[in-house]
Parts: sequence; structure tokens; C-alpha cells
Amino acid sequence: MPTATAGKKKTVRINGCVAAAQAAKYADVDVIAAYPIRPYTATMMALAQMVANGELDAEYIVADSEHSQLSISHGASSSGARVFTGSSGVGVQFAYELYSPISGSRMPVQMMIADRTLDPPGDFGSEHTDALSTRDMGWLMGWSCDAQEAFDNHLMAYRIGEDPRVLLPQMVCQDGFFVSHITSDVELPDAGQVKEFLPPYKHPYPLDPRHPVSHGPQIMPEQGPPLQLERARAMEDSMAVIEEVHEEFAKIFGRRYDPWIEEFMTDGADVVFFMQGGHAVTARFAIQHMRDQGLKVGLVRLRTIRPYPTDRVKEVLSKFKVVGVIETNMGLGSVSSGGVLYAEACAALYESDRRPLVLSFMAGMGGEAIVRKEFYWMTEKMMEAQKRGKIEKRTHWVGFEE
Amino acid sequence: MATIEVQRQLLPILDNPNQGARFYNPDLPSSEPFVPGHRTCAGCGPSIQYRMTSKAAGDNTILVGPTGCMYVANSSYLCTPYNVPWAHTQIGSAGSFTAGVAAAYEAMIRKGKWKGDFPNIICEAGDGSASDIGLASISGALYRNHDCLIICYDNEQYANTGIQASSRTPYGGMTTFSPPGPMVPEAKKLFPKDLARMMAAGHPHCYVATASVGYPIDLMNKVRKGLNHKGAAYLMVYTPCQKGFVYETPRSIDLGRLVVECGLYPIWEWSPEKRAFDYSFRPASMRPVSEYLKLQGRFGHLHAEHIATLQKFANEQWRMMGVALPEPLIQAADAKNLVNMASAVEAAAVAETV
Repeated sequence: MPTATAGKKKTVRINGCVAAAQAAKYADVDVIAAYPIRPYTATMMALAQMVANGELDAEYIVADSEHSQLSISHGASSSGARVFTGSSGVGVQFAYELYSPISGSRMPVQMMIADRTLDPPGDFGSEHTDALSTRDMGWLMGWSCDAQEAFDNHLMAYRIGEDPRVLLPQMVCQDGFFVSHITSDVELPDAGQVKEFLPPYKHPYPLDPRHPVSHGPQIMPEQGPPLQLERARAMEDSMAVIEEVHEEFAKIFGRRYDPWIEEFMTDGADVVFFMQGGHAVTARFAIQHMRDQGLKVGLVRLRTIRPYPTDRVKEVLSKFKVVGVIETNMGLGSVSSGGVLYAEACAALYESDRRPLVLSFMAGMGGEAIVRKEFYWMTEKMMEAQKRGKIEKRTHWVGFEE
Repeated sequence: MATIEVQRQLLPILDNPNQGARFYNPDLPSSEPFVPGHRTCAGCGPSIQYRMTSKAAGDNTILVGPTGCMYVANSSYLCTPYNVPWAHTQIGSAGSFTAGVAAAYEAMIRKGKWKGDFPNIICEAGDGSASDIGLASISGALYRNHDCLIICYDNEQYANTGIQASSRTPYGGMTTFSPPGPMVPEAKKLFPKDLARMMAAGHPHCYVATASVGYPIDLMNKVRKGLNHKGAAYLMVYTPCQKGFVYETPRSIDLGRLVVECGLYPIWEWSPEKRAFDYSFRPASMRPVSEYLKLQGRFGHLHAEHIATLQKFANEQWRMMGVALPEPLIQAADAKNLVNMASAVEAAAVAETV
């Protein structure tokens, strides 16, 4: 059987879904748990073909639900296997019960998410609410904005999550369709590079008959807090590991990412967008265009939301006069009565002595593209706020107002 | 990377000269994968079953415990009764978590990441997990034919949460979700889901069997047959619950026999090779259901007509097994023939005290 990581470095034109599948192949995963739901399905279709072709030696399990997908992943990871699973939209929600048990038992399961709007009604479009609703369950989480970044994030997430100092599951997210189904050039590495970067998975306490252990026995209330504290600390400790791994990734693969934040044209900017994911690609074009016209606008893209880089967000956003949070998620009745990202941005800024004004933009909802003229419109709103020096309206549903 | 062939264990079948005999069997392994030190109730049927089944499996075994008594009462943090690896999983994850463990070992052995014989992978699910919330996950594991054994320790209720009705609770069974009262004199109105038969019918490539703690050697042999079968196996075991059934604690094994002798728990095997049921198991004697019911407080409220209904149910089970019914059992299915049964008033008083 050919090995999973055979092959020399090459550039291929693939979409985000296939990039994620390629990453799983390079990581030589042992168990794959699949269940169909659009749009992430294409990842599992690609993996099924790789297994059928003998390009990847893995147990490919067609599960009976997302709940089972995550339980299969939990069981396989607990036994010492490297696991890959994924989902979208309501599928992410169907598996909700398992998120805390998996991070609580410190199993570094990897889950690919291609976002999809939640029901009702059945909408294929992308919205980050599916994954974001699980953001406090102890999973490392971040968004890619293109297929190359998705591939890279999947490889890095295995390395980070499986690090004995971390041992946490990872949600590697990408926008449905905007990233998952748009093809672009992706550089696939040399097998030797991956071997150097990603050591084999080795959990310190797997379910092995030669070294019996009990996973997850019932606890008394007073035994709960120390375990929760350990999980919280693992999340905090992961921050140093995340930086270390990004550094090593840059050395081996030649692509350097700031693990937390991408700043685009923020030099001398007064107003900036604060956002995650694929719409940042359009934002870059819109900002370039506005900069040509002399507007002082920039982009701050959050790459990792869990663990949340509070100090970094504070430090970066404090440089500007107005921050426009592009939500692409729903936080019904939340702080801004818009999305949940607003609260994350504001909380980080609370301790700053130079707090910018913060606006929440409900844009990219239901899977609609955020087109360039919407970026211009939002910039106008931010500049009006800058001129006034105060917020008149906290949340704007883009496309519903003059 | 070369593919390594997976080696599987073959466990010997024990000599079983007499189904009902209680005697020391020197062929039993001395290993104890399930040891004392847990917090189960006195006379706990599921834990008796646990000891027998894990003993039959031996030390190269991994146990999976979905939420239920055998999770909560067995495992206390920093103190565990399992001498083999054990993992808790969610109550709805019985089949899926187990499938994950089995798939991991298939891949890890094949890819040279773990060396040794394929371990016995056993899931111990309660009847709430197996018949209700985890049904789909177990069906999925059986359908996909992972090499594992899924045991349902059937105590006919959600006992760990304080005795609530499951779809395995028998007709007439009192639980906190099916109490008797003037509007519902029989308590539970529904008949139990025929879970084991469902598993056999829906997954005919699997080894499926029923057993009872009343017949330890038969139970242990079925565990070994299920483990020796290459692929998925399902075993449904009657395990009385002293707390929920309300009986004298030393009588757990007696109940394990009476339930079979009264025809309320047919013991059979489904052979995946022959694609046929084997109904040849016969208890030492046949008895009317009242002999089983009268030992348990959960049936204390039943009227003669309810007992006759249960006798009718038992008689159907006997007929299904191809057993000719003796005249007294046919007579007992008619409420008119049931004498010395509690009156409605007396039954209400009994229900009050239990």
C-alpha cells in the first residue's frame, strides 16, 4: 500500500474542502468519522476516494449521525488513534453533547467545520454561528480565509492539540462555499517536511490493555473545580505552544502566519474592520480601493478565537478610532443584539486607556456575500461615528438601512 | 508502509452440563477484571453480570461504559473497580464510542502502531441506553460490524436516575415515571420493546443472544461466543435491580431463574452462520408468572386481570419458542381462574408501602 505521505512538493488547484482532506491525508490519520451534510461533505468525499484508492490507510466510518461521529472520534482518540471528523451547520449542533466530554477527557480530536447557517429555514449559506455556539467548550478554534490557510491550519492544529502540554481538541473552521467550494492554488508539501513537523500521535494515557486506566469516572462536586481548572489552564498554556508551532511551521514550510491576528493596511488607519474568515479576502480588495481614494481604513482579521488573544486584541484595536466588527454570526438578544464577536472585541478593550468606538455590523448573514459596496457603506458608518465622536446606533444590519 | 494482519483471540467455551446447577467450575479463569470496591447496591444484578462477563473475557479487554448504574455506581474518581482499561461515554454513545475504539485498534494494529492480539472490546450499556437514547448508535455499530461485543444489562428501567420507566420496563411494572393510581391501576401500560429480536432481525450478520444472571455458565459462554465471532455481537442480559424491583437482596439469582421459568425472559441465540434462532434452551421447570411477580414490590399493585395479561404475554413467548403449554398455564391466562390475588383495596395498600 502506498504511504499516506508519499510525494514531492507540488502546487495543485483545489477548494477548501479538498485542502482539509489533503491535510488529513498528510497527517496520516487512523480513523475518519463521516456523516453527510453540506457543505463540509466534500471533504469526506475526497477522503473516501483517497482510502478507496489506497492513498491513505485509515478506518473510514460512515456514522449514523453527527453525535455518533463525535463519539466514534472520542473512542478512537481515547484508544491512541489520530482522528479526523467534521460537520456543518445543524450537524455541528447535533453533536453538541460531545464537545465538553472530548475536551474534558483531553482527547485531541480534530474537527473540520465548513460553516453553514442554522435552521430555520434550511439555508445552505455560510454563517459562523454553528461553530461559534460551541466556542466555550474547550476546543481550540480559528478560521481560515482561503484553501492554503485551511490546509496549513489543519496541520498546525494537530501539532498544537496533540502537544502533551495542551491535549485539547481542535475545530478548524472555514466559511462554507466562500472557502470550502472556491478553488485556488494550494502548495502541498513534501512528505519529509510533514514528517519533520508533525510527530506521530502519542496520548500519555490511552485505553491500552497493557496499562489499564479508567477514563472519566464519576466525580464528587468538590472534585469538579480542580479538573475544570486544569482544562482552563491547558487552554491558557496552549497560547505559548501555538506561537511556537507557528514559528516552526514558518521555518519548515516557508509560510509565516501571525497565530492571532492578521493586520492589513492598518498603518495610519483611523477605522478598521474586525472580522474572521473568508470575507476578509473581499475586504482586502475593498480596503485597497478605499486607500487609493485616501480613506484611512484597514483590516484586523482574527485567526484564532479560542484561546482568545485578549491582550493582543486590546493592544491592536486600541491603535484605532473606530472598530467595525463584522459578525457573520447570530447572537440573538446578546450584548449588541447583533452577533457575539462584538462582546469579545469590547471585553478585550475594556482595560485599554484608549478605547475606540465599536460598531457591530450584521453582514454576510444567511450566506450572502459581503460585496465591496457594503464594505464602503460600513466604512462610511465608521467614519461618521469618528466625526461625531460617539456611537448613535450600535448595531447595523447591513443591507437593511440607508 | 506494510499492512500487518490483525490477530484475534479465541476464547474456549466452558463445559455446561447443567444449565441450573450451582457449583464451582474449575475452568473459570482466576483473573478478575472487575473487582470489589464499587458502590453498587447489595444484590445488584448488573454488577453480578459485570463480574461474570469480564471474567469470561479476560485481561486483554477494553470496557466502555455509557452513563448508567455501571458508570455512576461503579466508578468513583480516584477509585475504580476496573482492572482493564475502561472509559465512560455519553448515554447515547454506547455503540459509537465502542465503534471508535474498535476502529482505532483495527487501524493501529494494521499500521504497526500497536502490537498485540486485537483486544476484546465490550460495551456495557443499560437498557435505557440500549433501547432508547443509544439505540441508533448501537444499531450503527452492529450494522457496520465492528469487532466488538455490546452487552445490554437489562434491569428494565432507568435505575441510576431513581427508577424511571424505559422501553424495556414490563407491562405492570411500577416506576417513578409509571406509578399506579386510580386512573392507571396497572401502572405501566405498554409492553416492553423486543430489543434483542430487533437487533437480530435488523443485523442478521451479528451474533445476538439473550441470557440471565440466573445461568452464569450460559451467560459466560455467550460472552465468549460473541467475542469469538469476528464482527459485532449483541447480548441482552436480565439483571434484576433490588432497588427498583423491590425484593429481598439475596434473591437476585433466584429472580434470574424465575423470570426464565415463568416465560417472561426467553433465552435464545441467533446464529449468523445459520441465519436462524436457536430456542433449545430449557429451564428446569415452567411456572406461572405470579410466582415471579409476587417476590417484587414493583408488581404489588397488580389486580388479577393484570396478572392474567402478563400470563398471556408469557404464554405467547413460550409458543414462540415452540414449547407446548401445560394446561395450568393456559388456565392462568384467564383472570377468573386466578384465586387468592390481591383485591384492589389490598393492592393499593401494597403500592402505598413500597
